[in-house]
Amino acid sequence: MSELHSYTMNFGPQHPAAHGVLRLVLEMDGEVIKRADPHIGLLHRATEKLAESKPYNQSIGYMDRLDYVSMMCNEHAYVMAIEKLLGIEVPLRAQYIRVMFDEITRILNHLLWLAGHGLDIGAMTMFLYCFREREDLMDAYEAVSGARLHATYYRPGGVYRDLPDRMPQYETSKWHNQKDVDRLNENRQGSLLDFIWDFTERFPKHVDEYETLLTDNRIWKQRTVGIGVVSPERAKALGFTGPMLRGSGVEWDLRKKQPYEVYDRMDFDIPVGSEGDTYDRYLVRIEEFRQSNRIIRQCVEWLRNNPGSVMVDDHKLVPPDREAMKHDMEALIHHFKLFTEGYCLPEGQAYSAVEHPKGEFGIYLVSDGANKPYRLKIRAPGFVHLSALDEMARGHMLADVVALIGTQDIVFGEVDR
Amino acid sequence: MATIEINGQTIEAEEGSMLIAAADKAGIYIPRFCYHDKLSIAANCRMCLVEVEKAPKPLPACATPVTDGMKVQTQSELARDAQKGTMEFLLINHPLDCPICDQGGECELQDLAVGYGRDASQYNEGKRVVMDKNLGPLISTDMTRCIQCTRCVRFGQELAGIMELGMAGRGEHSEIMTFMGHTVDSELSGNVIDLCPVGALTSKPFRFQCRSWEMQNHDGIAPHDTVGSNLEIQVMRDKVMRVLPAANEAINEVWLSDRDRFSYESLDSDQRLTTPRLKINGEWKSTDWQTALEHVAAKLKVINEEFGADSTGALVSPTATLEELNLLKKLMQGMGSSNIDYRLRQQDFRGNQPAPVLGSSIADFESASTVLLVDSNIRKEQPILGLRLRKAVLHGTQVHALNHVDYDFAFRTASTICLAPDAMLSELAILTQLIAGRTGSSVPDAVSKLANGTEASVEIVALANELIDAGENGHVVLGAQARMNPNYSVLTTLTSLISTMTGARLANLAEANSVAAWQVMGAALDDGKNTADMIAEPLKACLLFNIDPRHDLLAGDHALETLSETGMVVHIGNFHDEALDDCCHVQLPLAAFSETDGTHINCEGTVQSWTAAVNPLGDSRPGWKILRVLGNYLSLDGFDYNTIAEVRNEAVAALQPIDASRVNTEFTVDELPDNGLKRIYDLPLYHSDALVRRASALQGAADSKAAVVLHPDTLQAIGAEEGSSVKFSVGEQSVELTVSSSNIVPVQCVVIPSGVDGCSAIGAAASVEVAN
Amino acid sequence: MKRAAHIVKSLFLQELIKGLSVTGRHLFKKKITVQYPDEKTPMSFRFRGLHAQRRYPNGEERCIACKLCEAVCPALAITIDSDVRDDGSRRTTRYDIDLSKCIFCGFCEEACPVDAIVETRIFEYHGENRDDLYYTKDKLLAVGDKMEDSIARDRKLDAPYR
Repeated sequence: MSELHSYTMNFGPQHPAAHGVLRLVLEMDGEVIKRADPHIGLLHRATEKLAESKPYNQSIGYMDRLDYVSMMCNEHAYVMAIEKLLGIEVPLRAQYIRVMFDEITRILNHLLWLAGHGLDIGAMTMFLYCFREREDLMDAYEAVSGARLHATYYRPGGVYRDLPDRMPQYETSKWHNQKDVDRLNENRQGSLLDFIWDFTERFPKHVDEYETLLTDNRIWKQRTVGIGVVSPERAKALGFTGPMLRGSGVEWDLRKKQPYEVYDRMDFDIPVGSEGDTYDRYLVRIEEFRQSNRIIRQCVEWLRNNPGSVMVDDHKLVPPDREAMKHDMEALIHHFKLFTEGYCLPEGQAYSAVEHPKGEFGIYLVSDGANKPYRLKIRAPGFVHLSALDEMARGHMLADVVALIGTQDIVFGEVDR
Repeated sequence: MATIEINGQTIEAEEGSMLIAAADKAGIYIPRFCYHDKLSIAANCRMCLVEVEKAPKPLPACATPVTDGMKVQTQSELARDAQKGTMEFLLINHPLDCPICDQGGECELQDLAVGYGRDASQYNEGKRVVMDKNLGPLISTDMTRCIQCTRCVRFGQELAGIMELGMAGRGEHSEIMTFMGHTVDSELSGNVIDLCPVGALTSKPFRFQCRSWEMQNHDGIAPHDTVGSNLEIQVMRDKVMRVLPAANEAINEVWLSDRDRFSYESLDSDQRLTTPRLKINGEWKSTDWQTALEHVAAKLKVINEEFGADSTGALVSPTATLEELNLLKKLMQGMGSSNIDYRLRQQDFRGNQPAPVLGSSIADFESASTVLLVDSNIRKEQPILGLRLRKAVLHGTQVHALNHVDYDFAFRTASTICLAPDAMLSELAILTQLIAGRTGSSVPDAVSKLANGTEASVEIVALANELIDAGENGHVVLGAQARMNPNYSVLTTLTSLISTMTGARLANLAEANSVAAWQVMGAALDDGKNTADMIAEPLKACLLFNIDPRHDLLAGDHALETLSETGMVVHIGNFHDEALDDCCHVQLPLAAFSETDGTHINCEGTVQSWTAAVNPLGDSRPGWKILRVLGNYLSLDGFDYNTIAEVRNEAVAALQPIDASRVNTEFTVDELPDNGLKRIYDLPLYHSDALVRRASALQGAADSKAAVVLHPDTLQAIGAEEGSSVKFSVGEQSVELTVSSSNIVPVQCVVIPSGVDGCSAIGAAASVEVAN
Repeated sequence: MKRAAHIVKSLFLQELIKGLSVTGRHLFKKKITVQYPDEKTPMSFRFRGLHAQRRYPNGEERCIACKLCEAVCPALAITIDSDVRDDGSRRTTRYDIDLSKCIFCGFCEEACPVDAIVETRIFEYHGENRDDLYYTKDKLLAVGDKMEDSIARDRKLDAPYR
């Protein structure tokens, strides 16, 4: 009788735990993974190439769709690269708004990660609770940009519009009477900042709930402790960034190490892990919830007291306001030209990176002086992390692959681009 | 040469040339509105202000001559401030029209406002409004947008030669306008659209059609005249939206005639043929290409066997491409027939046919010291050559005209002799004789017989002297009208004699791609039946290549009659109309000039190829493909081309060289009948080919008027008045035409145009009688 | 001592019971869900939903065929043909938005100099085939006519920010 050898198994691309369109070719020895070979590209949309044929601003919307769970962070890196080449300073208020929404985005991202990761390895309740909190943050997204996901809100030179000073309200129906509606609208009486403030008041208690459900839970620990251990050295060598790197105990955060916008004015801590396993990365992200919440509160406080412009006052770059566009010849010409041709960047190149919820998200921009990029390169953290999946999965069981995909927090929008 | 420094960059420039020209040459851009390197300097927009060292105030770069050691800053604070100030003032009265303005996106005012202006206005007061003017069917106006750069005015004055636009009023009340009630009628008027830096003058047919950024540019060659102007064909969603000139200093510089610019309008005319059609039992039925071509081939084969090769003929429009001409000739030769002709408006085929060339390069045409125009209205025949000649006149060239009609050339002629057709021939003979006498050459007897011993007038003597003095710098130009003359061979012989004796260059200007046609046909023109022969007696089969017989053939209605008696008429063409539907049996849709690859040879012999800008309309096909497949169906050898390059290379290799042009030394004069009115032939500018005749905007233009003109005295003598209808008769036929009068026409003559409805009934007749 | 406490805790499933108490408490809380489609969650006045073409109060369509929206559309979803209308004004003869291409970035609305093309609050549009998602000028104007009150109200609220 011939001896049984390893066999190959296809995981995905239509597997619910594959987080999108990942196709893994697994070489198995029984239940044990001998080799994991990720196949990517099923969600390739040529964003980099597409950007080369459009004026700069027209690609902002496509940045949202890279990592489609941390929309504004993607936009942030892109507009920062443009600003770097233009050499312009963004108004302080816009910087605070950007930081606040970057952190809201981080919470949004981590909530989705926790929901999915929990669901993948058996914690169904997490999914419902996380989505409940996401709802409030998406309302904040919608209030400021008009879209719940793909905001197209950041613009080179600032942000498109200032924060609204009112929130939309629930209305009575046959299901909810006035009393119910009043309760639902309680936190919607003031401005968007008040609404966010109310969220930050409540959110730490929610995080406590998540921790009660998971942190000490024996099943959770059995599924995560000691799974996918990456040593600090290997993590650095593999190009890990973000929670993946910090989970391995390396204290690296662009917000602290290479502060951009107003992060240097913010008071927050960098959580790090000690073991470098899936459980540590879970703890790091849970702590980031709390730290992001802290940053948001600082931003809200500042923004409440410092009204002002949210866009640079240079209409060679930023369209003039609509009022002026309708009365003022110069403004109309600039409006017309900006919406047809856009603006030109000086010749040169720039790299800008943000501490994205998933790690270092970078945009490398080469300009030949035209109104569209000569070349745009996106450094997507998920791509780097996914390439370490083989190393992380070797020797683990098939069921652990699901935990590993979850802990890597990969989104195919950015991996495939 | 002077050495100057612009923005720290040391450059060499000609002393006395303008700063802006020197900067342009060095690739340093200085903003401008009124300056244009083909126009005179106005220095009225003040946009090009720059800082010059030691000058107390910024100076306009367009009007500041270069002097040695000059140090110029175009981007210094002073210069930028001055430019910003100018821009602000220009925008004070500019309307907020960008969203509805056709210039939006290609507007110099927008570009410079963004590049050199402020980003917000400080002006809140009301803006001035200027009434729009009616400049005719080609140019649309929004005069409130005008910034008074006067480029259009200067173009009219300096290049087109007629001051149709001018600036009236002063200060805030100054505006560009025409003379009361006049429109802009120049044959080059479209160029002011290109020149206008704002949206004040825009193209009327193009109005609101699309935006500049939506269109793709394709290179093309203008198909209507022998200049071969370079085109930029602009296309949106596979439709030609606009035609602009492409700069080519050697040919059309940066200009384009209105005919070349606006003829694209007919590309989607209702009369375009879009499917192959067969006439079955008198009914037209659309069919597919295979059926149609098989039908044609089968019929041609039968006719060939039954009646012999000589019973088949082909008439080809001179607008055809080199490739089409060559394939058609090859096809006819393959079938054993030499009956092919492109000289559709010629009736005198005696003697050798000289090449229809300019005799010099187009650029050198300007350098002639003396030009003799014979039977030529050069301005309305070849507008770009007319423009060149006008430039030459401004630089001292003496132009003499020996014509039937005293045309308005838009330049000053040294002498103008206008005579009735027979008298003009004698006058030319007298000139020839006189020159022969002075140069000691001998001339054929026919010349002295034609001169009839008449004493030369003072003008002729002066002209003869001048031509002899000019020698090689002289240029004798035989116009396109001469081709229609029943004594065309006399005209070619006399002009070639003059040119041989004086050394002057000789031009014989024809239509469209005639040079290519002449070079392709070569000896076949002499061997086979010519246009007149083919019209005189019905053939058994006739191929019409892009021809509308009624208008494209001088014989007009007579040609239609002959064709309707022809056994089979195959029409390969862009358009069809009722007359064509009646006389032909098969119609094959042909791709127009923008839809096919092709090659044009212009009057200086430059071979220019272009590629298709759009796909052929409907089911139409490029001519070379149609002929290639027809060749296959006829089982002819050598029709196995895969690409147009193969067809082109073969055609170019087989071209008859232009210097093989043979001139005649002998001629006989075809005596004109003595009775009635002598006819003066004319081909109105916008009736020259099928495309132009269907271009709706051009048909509304002043030059589309094709009038039957008589001298006022003659008009009185025949008892008619201006605008009345007169019945003319030729032989048995008679036709009623509306007449007008003008004293530019000699007495006892009548100008009857060709290519025009109504007049086609007159046919080629050289004289008409007034019926009662 | 610590180890003993750990053993006791795990023996009595302490962390699981704590977790269950969280879910148990939620069992008695007011629900946060709404009964769609009878009721909907609040919607911002900046919401970017289905497009609409607006008219002036006198019924004249606003669009002047300037094509800025077509030019700025990153997804090339807008197709416009323009021509001279009989009264000499510049108008569209065709204004199509292919909603299956549209990425709802809102640039068309930002670009429009006359507030003609706007994005409404409608998010529940659907189609049974591709053609249904190809909005022509007539469809867009119909949406605009239907939604004009809400469109005008929302633009007014957002005007100070734009």
